[in-house]
Amino acid sequence: MSLILMLAISIAVAAGVLLVLSRDVFRLIVGLAVLGSATNLIVFAAARPGGLIPAVIEAGATQLPAAAANPLPQALVLTAIVIGFALLCFALVLGAYLVRQGGQQNVDRLAAAEPAATDPVKPPVLEQ
Amino acid sequence: MSHANHSEAGGPTYLWLAAVPLSLFLLLVWGLSRHDLPWHVDTPWVPSLGLSLAFRIDGLGALMLALITGIGTWVFVYASGYLAHEPRRGQLFTVLILFMLAMIGAVTADNLLLLFLFWELTSITSFLLVGFNHEQAEARAASRQALLVTMGGGLAMLGGLVLLGQMAGTWTLSGIVAAGPTLANDPRLPYALVLVLLGAFTKSAQFPFHFWLPNAMSAPTPVSAYLHSATMVKLGIYLMARLDPAFNDLLFWEVMLIGSGTVTAVWAAVLALRERDLKRILARSTVSALGTMTLLIGLPSAGAGLAVVAFMFAHALYKAPLFMVAGNIDHATGTRNIGQLMGLRRAMPWTAAAAVLAGLSMAGLPLSFGFVAKDIIAVAKAESEIFTLVSYATVLVNAVAIAVAGVAAVRVFWGPLELPRNQVHEVSWRMLLPPLAIVFLGMEFEFFPALADPLLLAAARSIAPGLGEVSLSAAYDLEALLSATGITALIGLLFFLAWDRMHEALHTLNRFDRYGPAALYDRLLHGLARIAAWHTRHLQHGRVSGYLQLTLAALLSMGMFGWLHTNSRLELTWDWPDHAWAWAVACLLLVAGAAAAATLRTRIAVLMASGLVGYGSAVLFLFAGAPDLALTQFAVETVLVVVAASVLPHYGTAPLQQEPLRASSGVLAAAAGIGVFLLLVHLSNLPVNGELAEWFGRTSLAEARGRNVVNVIIVDFRALDTLGEIAVVAFSLLAALPLLAGLRKGRVP
Repeated sequence: MSLILMLAISIAVAAGVLLVLSRDVFRLIVGLAVLGSATNLIVFAAARPGGLIPAVIEAGATQLPAAAANPLPQALVLTAIVIGFALLCFALVLGAYLVRQGGQQNVDRLAAAEPAATDPVKPPVLEQ
Repeated sequence: MSHANHSEAGGPTYLWLAAVPLSLFLLLVWGLSRHDLPWHVDTPWVPSLGLSLAFRIDGLGALMLALITGIGTWVFVYASGYLAHEPRRGQLFTVLILFMLAMIGAVTADNLLLLFLFWELTSITSFLLVGFNHEQAEARAASRQALLVTMGGGLAMLGGLVLLGQMAGTWTLSGIVAAGPTLANDPRLPYALVLVLLGAFTKSAQFPFHFWLPNAMSAPTPVSAYLHSATMVKLGIYLMARLDPAFNDLLFWEVMLIGSGTVTAVWAAVLALRERDLKRILARSTVSALGTMTLLIGLPSAGAGLAVVAFMFAHALYKAPLFMVAGNIDHATGTRNIGQLMGLRRAMPWTAAAAVLAGLSMAGLPLSFGFVAKDIIAVAKAESEIFTLVSYATVLVNAVAIAVAGVAAVRVFWGPLELPRNQVHEVSWRMLLPPLAIVFLGMEFEFFPALADPLLLAAARSIAPGLGEVSLSAAYDLEALLSATGITALIGLLFFLAWDRMHEALHTLNRFDRYGPAALYDRLLHGLARIAAWHTRHLQHGRVSGYLQLTLAALLSMGMFGWLHTNSRLELTWDWPDHAWAWAVACLLLVAGAAAAATLRTRIAVLMASGLVGYGSAVLFLFAGAPDLALTQFAVETVLVVVAASVLPHYGTAPLQQEPLRASSGVLAAAAGIGVFLLLVHLSNLPVNGELAEWFGRTSLAEARGRNVVNVIIVDFRALDTLGEIAVVAFSLLAALPLLAGLRKGRVP
């Protein structure tokens, strides 16, 4: 596995975590996107990619050549890309809705679902 | 809460349900007349767990069954009258029937786990019955208390039973009793016995668990008469009596039972004097009686075994009617406060009659305390000093019992009527017949003890196998009996006359209440809620960044933990891919995009930067033999920009705030980056297992007729996963649609 790829993935993860820990809703969602891409790359890199030959059986052949890329992580990552995409789209819409509803960009102040406690023991009451 | 003005609620009265316990009772009597005890059934249930449906009915079990079904019959009749105005009476009867079945199971089960199962079932049904008037906070608190105390004890008992089972190598009660003497030297025995006794003491309200029973009086009166005097609270006594033959010789067992029994009997008798509520007075005296029974079981003599069954039998026969009397008075006058109750005899003559007869029985006709007194005195004479103290305690306890009988039977019925005459009325026959019937039954046994001889002797022999051939009627030692009853009756009379003055005097005890076990229970319960609230609020504080920090930190710690437990080599190898320049470009895109996304300050720029990360991975895919991935990633990044652009205006147009780099975020980000790097290095040193890749490459064309192996995996080999993936996409759209609609309208619903 190439060292520069390892370094690039690690830096992307660090940047993603930094974004996710931001107090801003939008940065948080972008952080999810960056972390998602980096995670896909970790799975992809685990199979030691290196060659250029895709996992396709050529005409006339009956099975994959030994030098071809490993198809298994590719299939996993393909699924992950699509699901990550769906998650991101929903997160973007939800974020927009929450910002609109709360009049706030700060995730820590978007606490409509978890209001502050008023009783020492009983759970807080959600205002309708 | 007077029921006097209510009309009867519609619907069935469920009087016919009394036929259920009655038929069971008749079945029992028929069985006893035909077949010799013990009866035995054993069917495998879950053999691998040592669980079998083992039931065994011996004398003690038969006595309990007779009480459960016999008293039960009259309780059901009584309940049909008592609950005539109660619209939810169907529920109560259902639970009452379930309770009865659970009781029958508990006193017949021979398998230890089966016993535990039925034991806890009685706790659960008792919880439902005590909390029947669940609109009252008091009833809810009482039922919760009864459940927590008895179930907690039940769990301890389970531990004890399992220990006993392991020690004896058998899972039947009868087996443990048989193996009893051989267990005496096992170091685990004291622990097992303490645990089992915790179960028995909580169930039978022994000190310091005596506080739940009076509170359970918020149950409807039929429930109090059935569960809290005649049957369920005797379950603990039953278990102790059942195990007594095995451990009777142990000093530990004797001390525990005699000590706790004496303290309970005396203390509950004192507490009875403090009560004003008729039902609570009766409940306290029940606790006192249960203490006496525990004490009797602990006594070493064989005669005590007979005493305990006789007392148990007699107690059920007088206490259940007294509860019914209290229920009738409550029903007719709307109060149970003895301060307001006087002179009810004219208005309620039949109830008064039942009360007087039950009171007489309680105050000490032969079957009840005559026996108790006789045996304790006999033992005290024969054995050590300590029993002298116990016998004094018994005199006090019985004196209070006499006073309680006087209060319940005489005081409230005699004297001038305090309440307006038109407010008081006699109750229906369904509430009068049961107490009278049980009392007459009891009287019959009192005067002709020979009638109950066979059953009581059989029960006594289950507890004290060494008991010889005695007849109950012949067992009286008249001289000892007279000397005991004479003194006790005199003191009891004094207590009765001085009831109000003693009640006043005992007010001084109030200041000690906050150190008592009931206060401790309250504090524990309150503390539990406080701890739960405290830790919930520190974990679920409503700050998203806090949640994420905690999650990431936990994830990283787990990774670190795993790292410490692997012997990984950290060797960097320099291998260059085929198109190294393209990889370099891809990595540059990745790093530049990630860095820009983390630092730029307009949303559109941050969005584009994150797109760069996606394009970077796409380029990498393209030059690493994964054109399908590259294609998908390119498409997804492009569509994502479109989607994001359409909702971006809703995030506002102001530039993003510059955020100071927080130490915690920086540390977590660095730790995550380094952790992933280490993980990747570790991965690169592991051998690649190409088995699956090889298999897919071989079977793709042959079995799935496809040349693009990645696509074949997705649409053929793992087609179901792909269906799930499509569903996720569809669901995210469905979830987003209403939000989008809200955004489009410009207002939030």
